[in-house]
Amino acid sequence: QSIKITGKITSADNNQPLPGVTIKVKDSPTGTLSGADGSYTINAKNGDVLVFSFISYVTQQIYVGSSAVINVTLKPSTNDLSEVVVIGYGTRKRSDLTGSISSVTAADIAKSQPTTIDQALQGRAAGVIVQQVSGQPGGDVNVQIRGLGGFVGSPPLYVIDGVQIPPNGQSAIPGNGTNPLSSINPSDIASIDVLKDASATAIYGSQASNGVIIITTKKGTAGPPLISYDGYQGWQKLPKYYDVMDLRQYATFMNEKGVIIGYDMRPQFANPQYLGVGTNWQKALFRTAPMLNHNLSISGGDARTRYYISGTYFSQQGIALGSDFKRTSVKANIDNKTTNWLKVGINLNMAHVAENVTTSNTGVINQALNQTPDVAVVNPDGTWGGNDPNIYGATGTNPFAIATIVKDFKSRYQLFSNAYAEIQFTQDLTLRNEVAGNFDFATEDYFNPSYVMGAYSKTTNSGTATSAQNFYNSISNYLTYQHTFAKKYWVNVVAGHEAQLLKSNGVSATRTNFASNNVQTISTGDATTATNTGVKGQGALEAYFGRANFTYDDRYLLTATVRHDGSSKFSEANRWNTTYSGALAWKINHESFLKGVKAINDLKLRLGYGLVNNQNIAEYAYGSTLNTISTGLSGNSQITVTTGNPNIKWETTKSYNVGLDAAVLSGRISFSADAYYRKTNNLLLSLTMPYYSGTFPAGGYSPGAVQAPYVNIGAVSNKGFEFTLSTQNIKSKDFNWNSNITFTRNINKVLQLVDGTPAINGQVSKTVVGRSIGEFYGYQTLGIYKNAADFTKYPALSQNGSGAIPITPGTGGVWVGDVIFKDINGDGKIDANDQTFLGSPLPKFQYGINNSFNYKNFDLNVFMTGEYGNKIYNQLKVNGDNPNQNFGYFPSVLNFAKIGLIDPAGSTSDINNVYITNPSTNITRISQSSGNDNQRFSDKYIESGSFLKCKSIALGYNFSNNLLNKIKLRSLRVYVNVTNVFTITKYTGYDPEIGSWNPLQAGIDNGYYAQPRVYTVGLNVSLNN
Amino acid sequence: CKKDYLNRPPLTGITTDNFYKSGSDLRLATATLYAQPWAGWNNFPLLGIGDIMSGNMLQPYNADLVQFTSFSITPQNSYLAQSWTSFYDVVAHCNINIKAINTKMPDSVAVKSKTGALGEIKFIRATSYFYLAQLWGAVPIIEDNDKLIANPLVPRHKLTDVYKFIINDLRYAVANLPKTDQPGRVTTWSAQGMLAKVYLTRAGLGQNGSRNQSDLDSAAYYAGSVCNTSGLTLLPSYYNLFRTQFNDNPESLFAFQWAPGVGYGQGNAIQTQFAPSSSLVTGGGGWGGAIGPTIDLANQYTTQDSVRRKATFMLTGDKYPELNAAGGGYTATGVNVKKHVVGTAADNNSPTMDLWSSIEHNAVLRLADVYLIYAEALLGNNASTTNAIALQYFNAVRTRAGVDKVTMLTPDVIMNERRIELAFEGQYWFDLVRLSYYNPQKAISIIRVQITPTNSQNNSMPRTQFSYDPATGIKTPAANSLIFTPPSINTFTLPIPANDQTADPKLLEAPVPYY
Repeated sequence: QSIKITGKITSADNNQPLPGVTIKVKDSPTGTLSGADGSYTINAKNGDVLVFSFISYVTQQIYVGSSAVINVTLKPSTNDLSEVVVIGYGTRKRSDLTGSISSVTAADIAKSQPTTIDQALQGRAAGVIVQQVSGQPGGDVNVQIRGLGGFVGSPPLYVIDGVQIPPNGQSAIPGNGTNPLSSINPSDIASIDVLKDASATAIYGSQASNGVIIITTKKGTAGPPLISYDGYQGWQKLPKYYDVMDLRQYATFMNEKGVIIGYDMRPQFANPQYLGVGTNWQKALFRTAPMLNHNLSISGGDARTRYYISGTYFSQQGIALGSDFKRTSVKANIDNKTTNWLKVGINLNMAHVAENVTTSNTGVINQALNQTPDVAVVNPDGTWGGNDPNIYGATGTNPFAIATIVKDFKSRYQLFSNAYAEIQFTQDLTLRNEVAGNFDFATEDYFNPSYVMGAYSKTTNSGTATSAQNFYNSISNYLTYQHTFAKKYWVNVVAGHEAQLLKSNGVSATRTNFASNNVQTISTGDATTATNTGVKGQGALEAYFGRANFTYDDRYLLTATVRHDGSSKFSEANRWNTTYSGALAWKINHESFLKGVKAINDLKLRLGYGLVNNQNIAEYAYGSTLNTISTGLSGNSQITVTTGNPNIKWETTKSYNVGLDAAVLSGRISFSADAYYRKTNNLLLSLTMPYYSGTFPAGGYSPGAVQAPYVNIGAVSNKGFEFTLSTQNIKSKDFNWNSNITFTRNINKVLQLVDGTPAINGQVSKTVVGRSIGEFYGYQTLGIYKNAADFTKYPALSQNGSGAIPITPGTGGVWVGDVIFKDINGDGKIDANDQTFLGSPLPKFQYGINNSFNYKNFDLNVFMTGEYGNKIYNQLKVNGDNPNQNFGYFPSVLNFAKIGLIDPAGSTSDINNVYITNPSTNITRISQSSGNDNQRFSDKYIESGSFLKCKSIALGYNFSNNLLNKIKLRSLRVYVNVTNVFTITKYTGYDPEIGSWNPLQAGIDNGYYAQPRVYTVGLNVSLNN
Repeated sequence: CKKDYLNRPPLTGITTDNFYKSGSDLRLATATLYAQPWAGWNNFPLLGIGDIMSGNMLQPYNADLVQFTSFSITPQNSYLAQSWTSFYDVVAHCNINIKAINTKMPDSVAVKSKTGALGEIKFIRATSYFYLAQLWGAVPIIEDNDKLIANPLVPRHKLTDVYKFIINDLRYAVANLPKTDQPGRVTTWSAQGMLAKVYLTRAGLGQNGSRNQSDLDSAAYYAGSVCNTSGLTLLPSYYNLFRTQFNDNPESLFAFQWAPGVGYGQGNAIQTQFAPSSSLVTGGGGWGGAIGPTIDLANQYTTQDSVRRKATFMLTGDKYPELNAAGGGYTATGVNVKKHVVGTAADNNSPTMDLWSSIEHNAVLRLADVYLIYAEALLGNNASTTNAIALQYFNAVRTRAGVDKVTMLTPDVIMNERRIELAFEGQYWFDLVRLSYYNPQKAISIIRVQITPTNSQNNSMPRTQFSYDPATGIKTPAANSLIFTPPSINTFTLPIPANDQTADPKLLEAPVPYY
């Protein structure tokens, strides 16, 4: 006997009506949505259960009794325990998790307005370190979960609606800071779940040893259509400019330098005080850049079919000339309950990304800091400004011109799709079949025109057109059995098989001598100069996996996972490997001795252990390959380009995790803390061997040499601690204040390198056993020589073992005003053995602090994130602080070490007659011929990279329902946002947040594309049906 | 899935497993060894060490090249690392190919194909080790690069053993290379000429004042074999030796086989670095405006010796109609390098030739060199000789250059002839090293004279550049403020590159026997 039930749904935190809440009768197709005033009507029988669910609120279930009116108050779900978490081949309630998983919700994402999805994670998920690798639009982000698990970067596995994006999954045309995940529209995302410990990741086996990030997009709910529009407009600016010399300072300096070196003064610099300020190349290159986003979505459904369809247009100009990013994407998620025993569905994501990457590809930011202020951007006659050809050594480019006329345009069409069919054999047993695909079609147009920029000219133009495709397919089938025995023993078992196949191919064509710089199609170049290349690749993975969950009495939980993986990357003998993990959880608050304690809502202890394998190397690493190159001997020849290692085997990571989750005082305070230890053995790395090996490591460039083999090189450990603390500080009718703090501490340590490998050397780093990966390694300095006495204290030492360096102002000598390098080993010479560790680019800890406030209809969110304890190599200072360069200078150079004479009539080359008149300076003397190698890599250029950044402040206003009802709107929110509001740091460069994919080259600032400060206004509106 | 689902060999490249199946595969594999791996040596160091360090040439600005001029070479010097790497890259490719031929070739391939290929490879490996031995002395001998995977740190081997290794390789090449092959490929004559040079060099090793007669005899034997029985002759025009139209002429016994359009770091970039003007190089380059011969070298040329002079370096006002012909030819505006400057893509009728890929097949060993080796070997430990055969071949070189014959040979006459004939071909430094083996004082004194001021007023010395007035023909030396490290016997051994010193501390220990 059905009865008509009505009621009103309100929010527990502000007593406002909640529109759009899904109301379903449990185990039946009946469902509806609440209206704008929060009211609903539904037919149900006595004894039925009504399920009230709404995004970001705790789902409630209520028995239908005799009453026909059921009013419901829904609680917001900050760290909600009934929240559903995606765990890979299944879902679980947060309260039932045994592994370590952090989650970010759609509501969190909306507050930070990320351009790409990985940005949304920064500071919001404990244990996850996120660093922007480039601030260019759509630029890449380096994500590390629980520390560096190897020497070649440790990206996690992304799983987007069941489509796996492998850790090194790249766009078909990678490079230049391009982010392969940038084709995904952040506003389509319902949740991001980060699987951190082995018990959580083991189900993904071979690609999951550095964690898994599962991204689930929004789905429709049964009910009338929900039509929403999100739009914003933003303006971006460079938050900070370097202080560089203006023209007056430059002229003054060049005059002084000319006197010392003995070249003629430039006539136009005769009276610096009458000059203007000249060109500030940063101001020329950087601009206030707009960004724009429109997103329209429609979702809804009925008892059988649910749908979510959205379309997005996003356009962002870069703050630096020569960069922009446009994304157009369409998303469709459709789920259909075809029969009682069959469900089918498909997730589709189609995107077009078009981006200009000229800025990064041409290095113009670095050039803008190098070019001198006497050069005009554009000459009065309309030609490009450039250095005077009559001045020796001044051959810089015109960065403004380069950014304007060089073209590097990338375009890519990406299609993600996952289709499934789920067959329910019995109440307890289902079989799910999934077919997933990720297809990426990319092109790149590159054109380097001919030009004249003063002394810098290019007489031949050239163009390259590249086209490439990636095809990824996977088929997964898995059975799920779930049953509760004797009301106390709950069992869930998953068993399945998966096969993945990746194929790629690409061609590239180059010509030079184009008839005109304006006609850039490849076919208009000189046909006789045509060259081309082509590549094809393939790889495959196959796996059998299983997972069992047991729960006893909702107090003791056990998870056991096993996965058997095969990878084409290994030879037949080493091809298959097994991953396994186990975890226990104890819900202490469900024990009888705590049942009466009302203050404790949740208290759970988790223990986990697992072994996960990794195959993060190039395909066919077990064999050697040859390439075709031309020689003067009848054209073609075959050259060996990679050396195989037939014994290469899987990298293995053992990890231990202990965690505690708690919620007290009706959930007003909740926290989750984890401590972990991860040890990775048999680390995979392409060896860096001495030059006499004739090899170079993978990723390097050394024509004529052979790429070194991959080997299982050693072991590294990461131990750490992370926690999340959420508090509802103030909770009242009109005003609410919630805080959320995340903290991540990780200690990285190399435990072992195979015999014969004393160290792994990077450009300015050295990695040895007992220290963390990629620590800076160079010379220590003790200021500069100021007078003869300093040479007594710090003797001029041999630089190469062939006798002491002469104390002379002439060629090859050392003199006052040169840097004192520390003879660390005290052997009386300065050589490679005097280098030492100068700090680590890895932060000691990273944290995020998020505060949200609600006052009536206003909401305010302030999000801060920071890092502490890392060091940065400010490479721009190497030239900028060097008075002997011929290009741009920082004003610090004005204070170069000035040499005075004790007896003005005495010799200038008598060390006892000279001294530095400005002894406090740390800038060297002016000399074109010092033999002291003052600019070698040393602690002079190392700076602290600690920072606290106010990442975003968002202020919004929700229009009241009374008003909205009159204009037939369901909801309307307007907001203003500022991102990258301010940064507190001692770092002198643009931005201390410098990510890198390569841990051996991390923390190097060489003209980094800074993250812009963005001001945004926007609105979210949803229509009434 | 089926078992072979996970078998995914590369689709682009050929693999070691499916290559090395036929004689023609071997020809493709050996062709590589004539070009790309040598690029690092060829680019700057070939002239930087061969001619700049020996005082034939000077580059006043490039700090690493200045180190070669002033003998203040640090282990960080980039050309040091570049040369060392390049030679060992060549060795690695040779070793990889030798191993593949010995382990992967099916029996169906003719033995002659295999031994011929092994001959080519061993010739090239020996040439590379010969460079290493002359420049660094005792160096690690690496025969199987795969062994480095498990055990990457190796010791240096005794120099006598390195020479033994080189001679073994070359004797194999002499026996197994054909008398003729496609132009550009090495033949038994190439191997015999190189072997003669190695014997001549080793003859002085560990000797004091005189040289080992048995090695001198071997040098004379093999050089004589090339001179008397190969049937090869000198190219009639010295000037044409250095034009690409005459690439791989019969005088060329081993020349790098550079191809056009191969990209940065993979081709012949000498012209780019040393040509004095961008009008001479297609696609940019021509950065050698500051580079030129020393006055010491220029003074060795008699007035009569104008052909070799003009083919080696330009004097202000010299006209080269064939260079930048489309632009009306090139007229020298300073004193600069000419050898290796072959002009634009159009001049060479090679559209894809660009700044990184000159098609000049510059010779490592040519017949004139072997003639002079023959004469030197026949002179042997004598103070002078009038041996008719020695004079015949020696004078053949002079006659071709258009200079008068000599009637008597002395060590100095031969040394000076080699310096002029082979100037800017990266040879003179090795002649000085050869001398330093048995007469270090003389080798040191040759250098010392170069750096001793001749005119205290303007501090000029033989090792300095000069300007030239075409109207008067007067050469004016440039002032030189360089500070020289006084030469000693150590000057003739280069420091091991810093990278490898750090990576392998064993290199700093005393060398160990190989055999």
